[in-house]
Amino acid sequence: MTAFVARRFLFAVALVFVVSSAALLLTRLAPADVTAELALLAPAEEIARTRARFDLDRRPLEQWGIWLGRAGRFDFGDSYLYNRPVRGLVLDAAANTAVLAVVALAAATAFGIPLGMLAGSRGGLAAAAIRSVSLVCLSLPPLLTSLLLVYVAATTRWFPVGGMTSVGALDARWSTWLADVAAHLPLPALALALPIAATFERLQAQSMTEALHQPFVAAAAARGVAPSDIVVRHAWRVSLRPICGVYGIAIGTLLSGSFVVEFVTAWPGLGRLMYEALRARDIYLVAGCAAMGGLVLAAGMMIGDLLLAAADPRVRERGA
Amino acid sequence: MRRVGLTLVALVLLVALGAPWLAPNPPDRSFPQSLYAPPTAVHLFDGSLRAPFIYQQRLISRLERRFEDDESRRVALRWLSDGRLVTVPEEEGPLLLLGADALGRDIFSRLVYGARASLALALVATLAALVVGAVVGAVAGYAGGVVDDLLSRVTEFVLVLPAMYVALALRAALPLVLPPPAVFALLAVIFALLGWPIVARGVRAIIVSEREREYVAAGHALGAGPWRMLAYHLLPSTTGYLMVQATLLLPAFILAEATLSYVGLGFPDSVPTWGTMLQDAANVSLVGRAPWMLAPAAAIFLVVLGVNLAIQGRGRAPVQLEP
Amino acid sequence: MRLSRLGLILAGAGVLAAAVVVLRFGSSEAPAPPEARRGGQIVASLRSEPRSFNRLVSRDYATEILSLLTQGRLVRINRATFELEPWLAEAWESSVDGRTHTLHLRPDLTWSDGTPFTSADVLFSLQAVFDPRAKSVLASTLTVAGQPITGTAPDAQTVVLNYAGPSGPGVRLLDNLPILPKHKLEAALADGSFASAWTNTTPPSEIVGMGPFVLREYQPGQRVVLDRNPRYWRRARDGGALPYLDRIILDIVPEQNAELLRLQAGDLDLTSSELRPEDYVSVRDAEDQGRLRLIELGVGTDADAFWFCLKPEVKGRDPRFKYVQRPEFRKAISQAVDRQAFADRVFLGAAVPVWGPITPGNIHWFWPDVTRYPHDDRQAQAWLGSMDVHPRRVDGVAADAANVEMRFTVLTQRGISWYERGTAVLREELAKIGIVLDVVPLEVGALIQRLLACDYDAIYYRPIATDLDPAGNMDFWLSSGSAHFWNIGQKTPATDWERRIDTLMFEQAAALDPERRRQQFNLVQQIFAENLPVLYFAAPRLYYAHSMRLRGVVPSVQRPPVLWNADSLSVVN
Repeated sequence: MTAFVARRFLFAVALVFVVSSAALLLTRLAPADVTAELALLAPAEEIARTRARFDLDRRPLEQWGIWLGRAGRFDFGDSYLYNRPVRGLVLDAAANTAVLAVVALAAATAFGIPLGMLAGSRGGLAAAAIRSVSLVCLSLPPLLTSLLLVYVAATTRWFPVGGMTSVGALDARWSTWLADVAAHLPLPALALALPIAATFERLQAQSMTEALHQPFVAAAAARGVAPSDIVVRHAWRVSLRPICGVYGIAIGTLLSGSFVVEFVTAWPGLGRLMYEALRARDIYLVAGCAAMGGLVLAAGMMIGDLLLAAADPRVRERGA
Repeated sequence: MRRVGLTLVALVLLVALGAPWLAPNPPDRSFPQSLYAPPTAVHLFDGSLRAPFIYQQRLISRLERRFEDDESRRVALRWLSDGRLVTVPEEEGPLLLLGADALGRDIFSRLVYGARASLALALVATLAALVVGAVVGAVAGYAGGVVDDLLSRVTEFVLVLPAMYVALALRAALPLVLPPPAVFALLAVIFALLGWPIVARGVRAIIVSEREREYVAAGHALGAGPWRMLAYHLLPSTTGYLMVQATLLLPAFILAEATLSYVGLGFPDSVPTWGTMLQDAANVSLVGRAPWMLAPAAAIFLVVLGVNLAIQGRGRAPVQLEP
Repeated sequence: MRLSRLGLILAGAGVLAAAVVVLRFGSSEAPAPPEARRGGQIVASLRSEPRSFNRLVSRDYATEILSLLTQGRLVRINRATFELEPWLAEAWESSVDGRTHTLHLRPDLTWSDGTPFTSADVLFSLQAVFDPRAKSVLASTLTVAGQPITGTAPDAQTVVLNYAGPSGPGVRLLDNLPILPKHKLEAALADGSFASAWTNTTPPSEIVGMGPFVLREYQPGQRVVLDRNPRYWRRARDGGALPYLDRIILDIVPEQNAELLRLQAGDLDLTSSELRPEDYVSVRDAEDQGRLRLIELGVGTDADAFWFCLKPEVKGRDPRFKYVQRPEFRKAISQAVDRQAFADRVFLGAAVPVWGPITPGNIHWFWPDVTRYPHDDRQAQAWLGSMDVHPRRVDGVAADAANVEMRFTVLTQRGISWYERGTAVLREELAKIGIVLDVVPLEVGALIQRLLACDYDAIYYRPIATDLDPAGNMDFWLSSGSAHFWNIGQKTPATDWERRIDTLMFEQAAALDPERRRQQFNLVQQIFAENLPVLYFAAPRLYYAHSMRLRGVVPSVQRPPVLWNADSLSVVN
């Protein structure tokens, strides 16, 4: 077990290192830099000062070395766009994205798994209806869903149209702030969760069907165990394995999907921040976002692997 | 279900192929009197049953986007003329089946031409991903040992990265605005780079299991070289898998193009693709009064749905890997 | 929009009284709206985060708005009437030669933290502007005749400012200078850290000002919260305290679509900029339903500009340049474009045709009698013909005897709908006389880089003038200026007419008589119209919307349209 964790940890470090270095160098080599917009309004010395501030007057490899050195001390430089240290910005944004991703994942699990169990263990109209809805949801990518939901929210005004908090929650206590964020969550979380819930549902339904065909189920039925018990207590655990395998990928999908959703619903998360940073060529912010993204990804994969190990003893034994 | 899916996909393909014929207007033609115009309604009834016709649209106020049908001027639709399926004479008002956009361009025509661009890009990228993935997977699976280890690590690594972020970073690293052919090539390359690991992993698994079979040993005994073995004997056994992967990658790439174009990092606005057309729909208050501007979203949905329906009978549930 | 000559002279005389000996007393009375109720808060939007809370070092729009709300100035130019109003200075006298201005500060004023406000703060602010380590962005604005403005303070209530030369705008220049607290920033200026003194991590209690509001809280990425300043000096007409509002919240909404949605949903009271033409109809619908109030701000003071790079050092070898550099070429383009159709198609009809950089929205400097070239395709072709450039028979593209084609690439900023429409219309109109345009939309950063390097044929863009007074835009008019777009930063004027404009601009910037300034500037406009280095087609009518609960709105055609007068805003429920 320790070997497994150690390997995963090393992988995480490598991932973060490669991803953030690549992002830094890519942005540095890109045409135009952060001072491009300044150029018309500012005198030459202001531009030179800004370039020096972001080490743009040094060679790319040199800048990379400086950044690595500072990163070792957890100093990721400053952001030009927000005029603040990158570390705080990225942590806040990652927290916001994490909130969204966790809620979306929880919603997807809460809807997908039970419905999948239902569709896999029964036949008939219910199963067919669930399957059709799943197929439709699978074909609704977060881009389209979030556009649609924003449109619906704007016309019906049942939900706030975008952002993470609204103005009224300013002087309020924790509980009000929480309620406020909770009101802003359904839109982006739903857009993210729908295709994942559908994936879970389909996978669960299929593996449940397979599990129910296993001999041990027939044996349990012969012993007189109630059908619902069979499904919930016996077959389900077996059917969980493919899902746990997918959980790791789902984290990656969530990160990918969250970019679009954050963009459309103005959720102040990591995806949106990275986009703004890339657009403006805010080099240290890009590197910081990439590093954080890599970290979140690695953490997600670790969790996914642990879940899989918990669900499938074969994985545990083999040491993954 | 499968047949419905296949029909949908075939329909979209046909539309894309026949775009120049199906579109009533050229996609980049802007009609100055028709900015944000609503769809021209096709009527069949005018006191009595007639051949399909439209009323010419008159502009009342540009700022208030008010148009009126001039009921005294009936304009019959012309079929199979000018190299188009259906059209209307030049002077008698444009035929805007889905209205016009901010520059007065016909949305329906842009939609069918957009099918071409989006599908072409997705096809090219899919092909590239398949080729690269198959080669890498085959080499890894056949060679084994260190080569296999190395290639597998690389594959795993790229597989793990969130596709959208990588696409974003790679695209943003180059000049943000490029001429359309350059954008096409660039996006195809980026998508292929993101898609090949999935293919490679599956191909490698198949090759690894096929490698142990007797016919391979026989081939070795007969003196066949490794490339010959791969090309003639082992790779053909992966064709089934490759076809399945192709059907998964295609809608994913269509969506990826739509996303990138939507956030402004894909094709420039002058090129009609579904993604660039969605940019107009970003102005939600505009769309509230003009829901026909969401037509590209419906088109994307239909394609993805069609593909999902078509493959859902093959056992594995399709996993939505790209946004 | 044609103002009568008399009206113009009267308006000009009334407004440009700065350099005349004037004694002005009295409090700046706020026009009390009949239903002004105290209390309440409003929510406005910002397009981007403020880069700093110190207007002296940062020129972005968000910092500008914050400065208007939290800091005070010695005098204020009323953005609706363009008159000069006493503000922190209640009266002033100017010497006859316009080089010495004595300002009398209002007595018994205090900063938002209770410290007394004195002339020492004014001198400190002036010193900070010209401190070499601070590198203030306002330094060039407050430079007269090449020298910084200097000042002395004979006593705590009086400031004497010395200009190195006569200045046309005179005391009006001081509208640009927010007065900063000496007791808070003195140390930073002394040790050289002034440029990073008031950043967005500074605790709000440090940011002290004489404005109607004080910074209460800054939530990065989300909003800036401002509370009313209980020690604000201005009083309402009935003697009551200002501002009426208890709080202003500035929400950061980077995207204009989202901003509009929030406005319509009632989450915002005010937006940061005027409406786009395509948004007019949905706001109009909202007005009909009683959710918003739609107002017309007036004709915008900036119009979209189209110009070719005329730098001989870079373009000299280009065979097309010998035609481009001649005024006949630009006149041909000017006459080939039907400006009314341009206004209709690009701004959906909500625009007025213009022929020069000063639009009718700039009421005091617009001269309707400038030479205009009417729409006439035949005359346009004749202009080209006079240079021996004719449309080719085979494809209609204009070319000269050596078959050099009149084909140009036009750079513009991507993502702006009226730039797209504008370039599309230009392309169509110019195709009629054989000039072919290839439009290339670029990101604004790339666009500006190429603009500065003269790495383009033509550009279509709307540069925003910072000041309505031409003396505040010397960078654009002077051939050596950094915003003289068609040929930036010339060491000596490349053409004779640019030399004449340079001379006239220096004269009018130093002339004390407003009528003389106007005459000279009219001459400048005439020279500009005869040589057409930049072409203008239409200036948009600006529309704006705010929530129904807002009162005391005095709209201005400059930005910010409503918040410039924040101390007189109130809400009803």
